[in-house]
Amino acid sequence: MVDRSLVSVIDDDKSVRESLPDLLNEFGFAAQAFSSAEEFLASIYVGQTKCLILDVAMPGMSGPDLQRELALRGQGIPIVFITARRDNGVRPRLIEAGAMECLFKPFSDTALLRALDAVFRGS
Amino acid sequence: MENELSRVVDALPGLVWTALPDGHADFLNSRWLEYTGLGSEEAKGKGWLAAIHSDDMPHLLEYLETIVASGETGEFEARMRRFDGAYRWFHFQASPLRDPMGRVIRLCGINRDIEDRRRADEAVRVLEGRYRAIVDGLPAIVTLLSTDGHVEHANRYMLEYLGTTSEEMRDRAVGQAFHPDDRPEVLKRWSHSAETGVPYDFEARLRRADGVYRWFHTSGFPLRDTEGRIFLWYFLQTDIEDRKRAEALLFGEKQLLEMVARGDSRSAVLEALCRLVERTASDCYCSVVLADSSGKRVEHGAAPSLPSTFINSIIGRPINLEAGPCGMATYLNEQIISVDLTSETRWPSWCPMALKHGLQACWSTPISSADGKALGAFAIYHKDPKTPTSLLQDLIEQFTHIASIAVERVQNDAALKRSEALLAQAQTLSLTGSFGCYVATDEHFWSGETFNIFGYETSANISFKLILERVHPEDRPSIEQAIESAANGLGCDCECRLLMPDGTLKHVHFVAHGTRDHSGRVECIGAVQDMTAHRRSEEALGKARSELAHVARVTSLGELTASIAHEVNQPLSGIITNAGTCLRMLAADPPNLDGARETARRTIRDGNRAADVVARLRALFAKGNTVADTVDLNEATREVIALLLKELQRSRVVVHTELAGDLPAITADRVQLQQVILNLFLNASDAMGGVEDRPRRLRVRTERAEDDHVCLSVQDAGVGFGPENAERLFDAFYTTKLQGMGIGLSVSRSIVESHQGRMWAVPNEGPGATFSFSIPCRPARPIGVNSVSAIRPPAETDAQHIVRTL
Repeated sequence: MVDRSLVSVIDDDKSVRESLPDLLNEFGFAAQAFSSAEEFLASIYVGQTKCLILDVAMPGMSGPDLQRELALRGQGIPIVFITARRDNGVRPRLIEAGAMECLFKPFSDTALLRALDAVFRGS
Repeated sequence: MENELSRVVDALPGLVWTALPDGHADFLNSRWLEYTGLGSEEAKGKGWLAAIHSDDMPHLLEYLETIVASGETGEFEARMRRFDGAYRWFHFQASPLRDPMGRVIRLCGINRDIEDRRRADEAVRVLEGRYRAIVDGLPAIVTLLSTDGHVEHANRYMLEYLGTTSEEMRDRAVGQAFHPDDRPEVLKRWSHSAETGVPYDFEARLRRADGVYRWFHTSGFPLRDTEGRIFLWYFLQTDIEDRKRAEALLFGEKQLLEMVARGDSRSAVLEALCRLVERTASDCYCSVVLADSSGKRVEHGAAPSLPSTFINSIIGRPINLEAGPCGMATYLNEQIISVDLTSETRWPSWCPMALKHGLQACWSTPISSADGKALGAFAIYHKDPKTPTSLLQDLIEQFTHIASIAVERVQNDAALKRSEALLAQAQTLSLTGSFGCYVATDEHFWSGETFNIFGYETSANISFKLILERVHPEDRPSIEQAIESAANGLGCDCECRLLMPDGTLKHVHFVAHGTRDHSGRVECIGAVQDMTAHRRSEEALGKARSELAHVARVTSLGELTASIAHEVNQPLSGIITNAGTCLRMLAADPPNLDGARETARRTIRDGNRAADVVARLRALFAKGNTVADTVDLNEATREVIALLLKELQRSRVVVHTELAGDLPAITADRVQLQQVILNLFLNASDAMGGVEDRPRRLRVRTERAEDDHVCLSVQDAGVGFGPENAERLFDAFYTTKLQGMGIGLSVSRSIVESHQGRMWAVPNEGPGATFSFSIPCRPARPIGVNSVSAIRPPAETDAQHIVRTL
């Protein structure tokens, strides 16, 4: 378990920040949780992060804002978006913009695993 | 005998004396002696002369000599000294006494005291002199005429005025000095007065010494003697030339102002004005020029007596300092006087032309508007060099003022006509008429558009009766009331319908306010607007607005659902993730029991959080500020059907309505109720989404229920539910639908319960289910709603939810 890939979770909802890292650990990833995009960008984990699980709607910088910011910085971290707002227009837009997946909350552990598999199989 | 004679002589009423021809007295009666206080011996001889006033002495002696020489009786008056030294006048009468030879041998005389008479005469003389002085001194012309019309006396002023003497006057025939035109009437009136004694009173022109006629007012009064016979006519003549002139001027001004008021053309007024000044000032020519619309050049105003060649050379000249006196006066807006054009240097091109026409003096005065702007100039020309007198200056001031009134009036008239036309057009466009009326006398003043609105001819004689005839019978009482309040000087603001002769209806809006005119009468002034088109568009607007409300309602339901979804999805997400983690931890080898316990604890916490959201959601519809409205449930249902018709058609749902005809209105929040109905319809439609073997029939029914309730039920032919689930249907998160949240029915029930009603569901005997609610027509308690944000959990320090639109 030494070389576990780091998956960073960014969500302003506490339940998600508490629950997802445990699940990711169970999946065999290392996990870090951040309550905002700004907090993530300021952290030392940006470079190490192999995958981002990113909430769409957050106070301050939103998920798509961070997606654009990272693209500008040339840091193409694969992104799995999660959102509690069920809007059918969102998913295609985000995928179009380069996201690996967009999951609607509540999503099952298997759905998440499928998304992560896709990310890491691709890399 | 001698004694007897002596007594007679002494008794005579006078001082009796005799003297020798040489003047030596030889007898003086006792009255003489008593008066003078001289002794008889003392007075005899030359002694008597001591009693004569020294001033009268020479004449007296002369007189005595005359009598002696002529032998005739003579009379004389002289003063005699009384015994006390006082002198009194005496009348001396003496006769000569002759001897048989005819020689005068003695003078016999008698002196009578005439002092009192002399004094009276003197007093009369003084009085006469004073009267004459008064008559001569009167600042009027006074003439005394004998009854046959001869001048008895003419006072100094009369003589000076006529330039004649009183002697010449005496020979003049009556009326000779009057103007030939006036003379016949003067003579006629004089003979009438002379015959009847009626006082004479007439105004006529009298020729002055220099030949100028001036107007005089003559009053004549007869003087009568004690027996009432006229012995003299007393004439008083007053110079009224200035008054006559002022009257003529005033009359002329009045005529001019009348012309202005009548709206005569500007040129007619200005021409009349020029003529009036020419008549009044004599020997002059007048002209008026006006600034043209650009204000840069002069245009013709009037010049009735000037040659056209002169006028034409002035018209079109620029308004500046060089072009001529009128242009300069207009340019500077001040009076320009040129006393002698032969020595004038200011207008080199204009002067020769004026001189060529024989004009040598020009006074040009600006015609100024009320606000002081120069409109043009009024000029007076003379054939000889001339300076205006102050009298003429007054005249000029007066007439430039009238000219300015005339010019401005024309301009104002034009402006007024324009503004009237604009107002009429504005009234036509805005369908607004104005009116005024004296309520007490039923007098009305209407604008053209008011007549239009009421559909009356402008010639119609408007009265309240006529107005009320047009008003729709049902609205008459309110208009009668408005008229009454107008009569009391109050305003009114009311709407009513007019029933036109062709049967159409007009909606009109009256606004009026009461006022009092200068004489204190109550006048009502107001406007009336034809609101028919406005009303129609208002109705259309209302329809559009309610359609918009329908859309908003759907949107708000969507918003509500989205918000609810977001709030519930968050904890649900935690629950599912934790549950999955828990399972995996337990499935691990060895099982991670501590981790599983922790995730299970978090699962419970998130579950509670979701329950909290739903509890708040219920609370939102159970209380709060609901808009209580009178709602016709049938109408509300029809609106929902209309709103969903497309959606239902797309889902191939056939709607059957059975709406009760006798449904009472209910007090409810219309929007909330429609959300419930909408939800029931959408649920029914969703429930039949997979139905292919039978018609997707949706039956909606309204009916009266017991206890003053109304009931609505929606029956579908969908998947239905088992009887055991009938209550769980209304629990939050219970759903039979793949897409459903299980929130709709829960919220709907909360809404119904907030209306103190009941909601239930029963499976159909055939396929599908029926969802119903019943609510009381009049709720016992108030009903209420909150905002969607009330369902959100209390803000967590690190979990604030801001929904962004992507």
